[in-house]
Amino acid sequence: MAELLKIEHLNVKVGNKEILKDLSLSIPEGQIHAIMGPNGCGKSTLSKVIVGDPAYVVTSGSITFKGKDLLKMSADERANEGVFLAFQHPVELPGVGMALLLKTAINAKRKYLGQEAMDAVQFMKHMKIRATALGITDEMLKRPVNVGFSGGEQKRLETFQMAMLEPDFCILDEMDSGLDVDALKVVGKAVSVMREAKRSFIIITHHDDLLKYVKPDAVSIMRRGTVVKTGGPELVKLIEEQGYDAIG
Amino acid sequence: MTPLANPFLLLNKDGVEVQHPDDASWIFNVSKNGCLDACFLQFDADLSVIVNLNNENAKCDLKCIYLTNKNNKININIQVLHKSKKTISKQQIKGLATDQAQVNFNGQIVIPKNSQNCDGMQSHRGILLSDKAVISATPQLEIWADDVKCAHGSAIGPLPHEQLFYLETRGVDKASAQKLLLSSFFNDIIPDDFEQSVQQWMDENV
Repeated sequence: MAELLKIEHLNVKVGNKEILKDLSLSIPEGQIHAIMGPNGCGKSTLSKVIVGDPAYVVTSGSITFKGKDLLKMSADERANEGVFLAFQHPVELPGVGMALLLKTAINAKRKYLGQEAMDAVQFMKHMKIRATALGITDEMLKRPVNVGFSGGEQKRLETFQMAMLEPDFCILDEMDSGLDVDALKVVGKAVSVMREAKRSFIIITHHDDLLKYVKPDAVSIMRRGTVVKTGGPELVKLIEEQGYDAIG
Repeated sequence: MTPLANPFLLLNKDGVEVQHPDDASWIFNVSKNGCLDACFLQFDADLSVIVNLNNENAKCDLKCIYLTNKNNKININIQVLHKSKKTISKQQIKGLATDQAQVNFNGQIVIPKNSQNCDGMQSHRGILLSDKAVISATPQLEIWADDVKCAHGSAIGPLPHEQLFYLETRGVDKASAQKLLLSSFFNDIIPDDFEQSVQQWMDENV
């Protein structure tokens, strides 16, 4: 399998604090890769660094995506190359409707790829199918993005954005914290429907709730800012039974 | 580029006497049961508004949008005088400053001792689009009556970094993300008639 994302010897700081230390990770095309680790091990930092949050400073190492140097790209370029993050804490955008956000985002990507803009009719159709499948109501689409939604609804909407934008590489950051079983099923359904030979997923979690609905092909364990072990789905069971102290 | 005028919309002036002593100044006298509903759009220009709520049940709903850039210095002064009991005022002011522009906003609500059962509200929000732009707001509430409702709030700052970043992670470049957030910022108070000229100003100056 061709490699989609390759991280080599990554070191990351916020202010003077080193958060990621000599982290290496490789994700091939078509893989669902779970990243597990206790709170504070740097999982969320890793997701923010991949999508280009300027608050984090990469001091050394590299991230390559589809063979291109991701660290040289701005956050919007990374998104248009096909990188997507479903946020652990989605940001409220008062006054910005979900449909406007998604239409702007889809057409930004099309422009970046030299394609024609999606017209209003195509867009509505594209949206309707996905909203129905994920239980997103018209009323939810009319409200400003993430404003006044419960944690579960926000994560459902992050999943919906992922389905709308059809990225090649999706990072789901702690989608299972604060989610009830129905919402977990929605996320699981979205991932299985979207799964394709060339599309990969990173699923970040600190317990195995979501992994009951999405079966990972590979699992990496993070501790103290780095990946200490990568293996198969059997690692999930090991963590569940013996805790993180069983590894590194 | 044609310079944008500073339009003024009088959406309702039932029972209102209007004085316009000079280009930047407006005085409104609202009589019993009268209702003033007005919106000002200020491009790099001073504004001085005095509203006298002279009799019972007089109301005003004022909106003001200001936009300024370069080395411009503008003063926005709005004074609402609740001269009678049971009068109601609402002011919503939103604006942005970029480059080295400076904005001084003074908003005053006065409720004298005999004007009981009044309701006054003032809200101001300013967006700074450059490190060198300055917006200062001085809300002044002078309340002498003891049975009234009065609220005010002012918030000034840059567009929130986390909102811009969230949009960028969806593939929207920084300039478009700024424009999207700014249009939605004005969205709740801007009348349809002003949308195009605000958009034009932002296209040319942001």
